[in-house]
Amino acid sequence: MRQRTRVMVLVGGVVLCSALAASCATVQPWERRELANPCMVFDASAAQAAYDAHWQSAREGSAGGFGFQGGGCGCK
Amino acid sequence: MRGRRSTLSFLLAAMVAGGAAPGAQAVAPGQPAPDLRLQAEDGKVVSLAADKGKVVLVDFWASWCPPCKTAFPEVDSLYREFQPRGFDVIAVNLDERRRDAEDFLAGRPHVMQVAFDPEGKSPRAFGLWGMPSSFLVGRDGRVRFVHVGYSGKVLDSYRREIEQLLAERP
Repeated sequence: MRQRTRVMVLVGGVVLCSALAASCATVQPWERRELANPCMVFDASAAQAAYDAHWQSAREGSAGGFGFQGGGCGCK
Repeated sequence: MRGRRSTLSFLLAAMVAGGAAPGAQAVAPGQPAPDLRLQAEDGKVVSLAADKGKVVLVDFWASWCPPCKTAFPEVDSLYREFQPRGFDVIAVNLDERRRDAEDFLAGRPHVMQVAFDPEGKSPRAFGLWGMPSSFLVGRDGRVRFVHVGYSGKVLDSYRREIEQLLAERP
């Protein structure tokens, strides 16, 4: 019985993993027509987004994730 | 316990194997250029083999790619400049919809040959990893220079490289 349960868990797991993996698709560089559309950009203004990132990074250094650190004054 | 661990390892391995993306290997300088057989604007078949003994710039572009728009007339100007000396350009359009490419080309007079590859077979063969990409093929059919992306500064490099390759004897 335990053996049977284990097999069922294994089969279920493989099916689940396959289903999850199927959602991972590699978009080739030449297939990015839709992604290149300006409406796909998260931030309407690139300059404003860069400023926000700079400002936030300077004040919340540990939160970071922007690829640079600030001294706290936000003036680098 | 041991059984559970092996089950877990198997699941993890299945997940990694299933999620792994097939990595394309870009054609590097020195390697033979994969052949192309594509349909040109006039319906004729364009192939790299037909350009044997010439210096060829294989330029991959798409109408939706901003740097490609900048590069297109510049590449055409290179063709006009070096074509009499044994230079050719195959500008491979990668738009999935032919209409997009035709709209783009309608507003841009050009003399270089444009070929269409909506299925993306040739960029796969060349292992393209960025847009636009261009491969400068020497007279011996080997890829000699690879450029990914485009800025006005690259134009001088192109000129230098084309001059160098044209000077080589087949």
